[in-house]
Amino acid sequence: MAKKKVEDKNHQSGDNSKNEKEVNYDEEPNFSDPEGYLDNITDEELLADLLKQRPKETDGVESVIVVDGVPQIGPERLEKLKSVINKTFAKMGNIVNEYYPVNEQGHTKGYIFLEYATPAHAADAVKGMNNYKLDKQHTFQVNLFTDFAKYEEIPDEWVPPEPRPYQGQSDLYQFLLEPDAYDMFGVVVQDKDVQIWQNTQPEPSMIEKRENCTQCLIKWSPLGTFLATFHHQGIALWAGAGLTQYKKFLHVNVQFIDFSPCEKYLVTYASLPIDHPDSNKIIIWDIRTGLEKRSFNTEGSTIWPIFKWSHDDRYFGRIVNDVLSVYETPSFGLLDKKSIKNPGIRDFSWSPTDNVLAYWVAEDDNVPASVTLLEIPNRNEIRKKNLFNVADCKIHWQKAGDYLCVKVDRYTKVKKERNENKYSGMYCNFEIFHMREKEIPVDSVESKEPIQAFAWEPVGNKFAVIHGESPNINVSFYEVRVGQAPVLLKKFEKRACNHLFWSPRGQFVVLAGVGATGGGSLEFVDTHDFLVMNANDHFQLSEVEWDPTGRYVVTAVSQWKTKVDTGYWMWSFQGRILKRVNVDKFAMLLWRPRPQSLLGEEKQKETKKNLKRYYPQFEGKDRMRQSKASKELIEKRANLMKKWKDFRDEQIEKYNKLKGKRLLLRNDIDTDDIDGDTNNVEEEVVEFFIKEEITVLE
Amino acid sequence: MKPLMLHGHERAITQIKYNREGDLLFSSSKDNKPNVWYSLNGERLGTFNGHQGAVWCIDVDWTTSRLISGGGDNSFRIWDCETGKEIGNIEAKSSVRTCLFSYSGNMAMYTTDRAMRNNCEIFVIDVRTVDSSISQAQPILRIPIESSDTRVSSVLWDNLEDTFITGHEDGAIFQWDFKAGKMVKSIKEHSLLINDMQWNKDGTLFITASKDNTAKLFDASDLSLLKTYKTERPVNSAAISPIFDHVVLGGGQDAMDVTTTSTRVGKFDSRFFHMVFEEEFGRVKGHFGPINSVAFHPDGKSYSSGGEDGYVRVHNFDPPYFEYNFDY
Repeated sequence: MAKKKVEDKNHQSGDNSKNEKEVNYDEEPNFSDPEGYLDNITDEELLADLLKQRPKETDGVESVIVVDGVPQIGPERLEKLKSVINKTFAKMGNIVNEYYPVNEQGHTKGYIFLEYATPAHAADAVKGMNNYKLDKQHTFQVNLFTDFAKYEEIPDEWVPPEPRPYQGQSDLYQFLLEPDAYDMFGVVVQDKDVQIWQNTQPEPSMIEKRENCTQCLIKWSPLGTFLATFHHQGIALWAGAGLTQYKKFLHVNVQFIDFSPCEKYLVTYASLPIDHPDSNKIIIWDIRTGLEKRSFNTEGSTIWPIFKWSHDDRYFGRIVNDVLSVYETPSFGLLDKKSIKNPGIRDFSWSPTDNVLAYWVAEDDNVPASVTLLEIPNRNEIRKKNLFNVADCKIHWQKAGDYLCVKVDRYTKVKKERNENKYSGMYCNFEIFHMREKEIPVDSVESKEPIQAFAWEPVGNKFAVIHGESPNINVSFYEVRVGQAPVLLKKFEKRACNHLFWSPRGQFVVLAGVGATGGGSLEFVDTHDFLVMNANDHFQLSEVEWDPTGRYVVTAVSQWKTKVDTGYWMWSFQGRILKRVNVDKFAMLLWRPRPQSLLGEEKQKETKKNLKRYYPQFEGKDRMRQSKASKELIEKRANLMKKWKDFRDEQIEKYNKLKGKRLLLRNDIDTDDIDGDTNNVEEEVVEFFIKEEITVLE
Repeated sequence: MKPLMLHGHERAITQIKYNREGDLLFSSSKDNKPNVWYSLNGERLGTFNGHQGAVWCIDVDWTTSRLISGGGDNSFRIWDCETGKEIGNIEAKSSVRTCLFSYSGNMAMYTTDRAMRNNCEIFVIDVRTVDSSISQAQPILRIPIESSDTRVSSVLWDNLEDTFITGHEDGAIFQWDFKAGKMVKSIKEHSLLINDMQWNKDGTLFITASKDNTAKLFDASDLSLLKTYKTERPVNSAAISPIFDHVVLGGGQDAMDVTTTSTRVGKFDSRFFHMVFEEEFGRVKGHFGPINSVAFHPDGKSYSSGGEDGYVRVHNFDPPYFEYNFDY
């Protein structure tokens, strides 16, 4: 800023000199003050901007760092130490000067001074090299030289710090206390705002609106407590009444985040340029304290989520180069300090209810592929199944953890081409593991057709599969029963869909054609009796989102896919359209999840049984709201109409007054009404084309 | 009722207009021949042959004796309605975008595009006697539009011949004093090109159709904005029902963008809004290209739309339309 001001000044003076072209530059003018002149302007007033740039004593010192914890050695090994130090510290920037203090014997004192070319490099070095372990005995303590000055100025008298006032945390579960159990959803409009809506009846209402809040992304935590917004500097979490800020997590350029299932931890990932010291870093944070628990480098697969959490937040793991590493919380150390090595391991997944994980290993020359179930932390292999001719596997856990389905893509022929396997004659098996039965029996279902989508019913034991190739796309529903192989319940043939969306409460499913090729078709199916309750479409839809209670479905067209007609439509679970909202630059809509009900299973059953008793009460409420809304609308319209009538009456009066003038212009013929000019009526015969008949003449 | 499909044009319809009684429907198109039809049965009465390029605009006087048209061949022509013969031809320096008869039919106005270093201009001529000498006659009024303002894309003339209103390419609306030949008021409620402006029955309100996806209703006396009708597509034309508080909007995705998207995206429906409540209550499908011009029959019992697909569709309203009432 200061610089700019100086430039402005120069500019101005340049203009002045232009105006005074006549000035003779050869002769030096007299700069001395006239006699008796009193200089009452201080330097600060005159040159405030320049004074800011005045060299300071610290200027040269700011790029100097002090490294403590350096090995103490005799003069004979000094050269070697210097080369080691240089090598380590040159990583952070160019070292221009160094100083190794020595005692009378020529031994180094265990601390050294290094000067970098710029203060920025010095700061980097402090950040990057502090606590650097040179070897077992020596850990560097790196500080800026200027810091010492700072610490020297600390007064000798200790002043007890003021206790920070206690800041009560607002009730994080306030959103669950909504008396009508209306659900919330967040809407992101690119470059504009984040809106939080409550799905009130009969019209949703906006409860919060934040502008410039996010980089076009939001995420709810799995139990709905927190809302995460993405910013350049990192992640902000919002919670409680009015969604106030809860914590901030600094991670520059953060791209992906993941919550642990119990909302204890947050995983963030940012991809930065490779030369950046924080490049490709994954950080795991404690949400309540806001502190970093551990950071990892990214290696191997970068398919998000890189870390997968066990259901109770106790363990998390990832696969890097044939090694499955499981870590435990809260120590964040490797479980038993040992990874699980298994050449060819490709993917794993935690059971949603138990500390069991399933992983699969690709086939190698003579070893078949296999799926293994592993108990954690004791590493018991509770089931292993060998599979043959495997190209790929996908692991799908049923939400209740009762069943596991492994979708196995199999081949009949394989060709090796430049280190890549080319498969042909593909078909597919579903291996169903009955987790709750003794010895975990496995059933399999074979499908000769390519699989488009697979999904378990979230509550219940059905699964649905979309299979076949366009235009012969079929949807099959299977049920798994204890001790039995899966049974085909129903097959819908020739459908236009490519995705399945189960209601979070089970039973109902939406078959949708998502994306540019999907056509946007929607079918609302009740899987109790396999009735298609409604079929409709939302052209170019890109998202289908059930609300957490399974009462509403939102279909959306996001501007990431197409630029026209972006927005979201709300449907009832039966497929009745409730609302169409077109929003320019609409990016995403996410329902706020709800935690599991606190009512026990008994209580839930009881409520379900007595549903009829509660029904009239809610029905009445709904009717009241509906009539209130329509009354409001009618009042609004009546008002508008009244205003309009008054306005029009005035206009018409004026218009009628001017009739004379109009008649003058049209030769005294009244044309105000269409039939006004009675002299001009002429009768005319008009023929209508009614029917065409072709008679063939012989 | 099944609409009448008037298929006589070979290219996109640019404007349609009923005569005062509503028994005839005139249409202009990008082919060179304006047409006239019986509005009752859709029979074509004849064509007006002579233009050498696209015809952008037409108007018929209140006695249905003369038709005027302007086109891309830089000409403004006057026709005899009964014979279909050209009786006058005025050469312009650039294409003629709009044309209009005055209330009395004694004068006609036309405006030209800005092209080839010629400014956009407004001309008013005397058309009481029309013969071949009219091409040399001096216009009564000639207003060049300064280059700082954008070209005129639609005009309206009030029923006392005192003022006229111009809609512009940048969405501005100017009100002019005719006798003084001066602009008296300007507003800018639209952000993009105004495609069309139409009067209500008594000439106290007018509706504008703009490329900015809206149509708006204005008070003609002071240009105050009364109502706004929002859609998701450019609006090419809008008309006010002479008997109900209804307006109809026609439009759709730009012709040049349609080829890249499916017709479903285009939204080529006529859309009916309640004039006061600004609520949409009906749509009429049919065109397979954008609608370029809509017009109500003067008796309010039917309406017509002309589309980029070259068809004019005459829709007679079914009984439910007349019975339909908004609750208030």
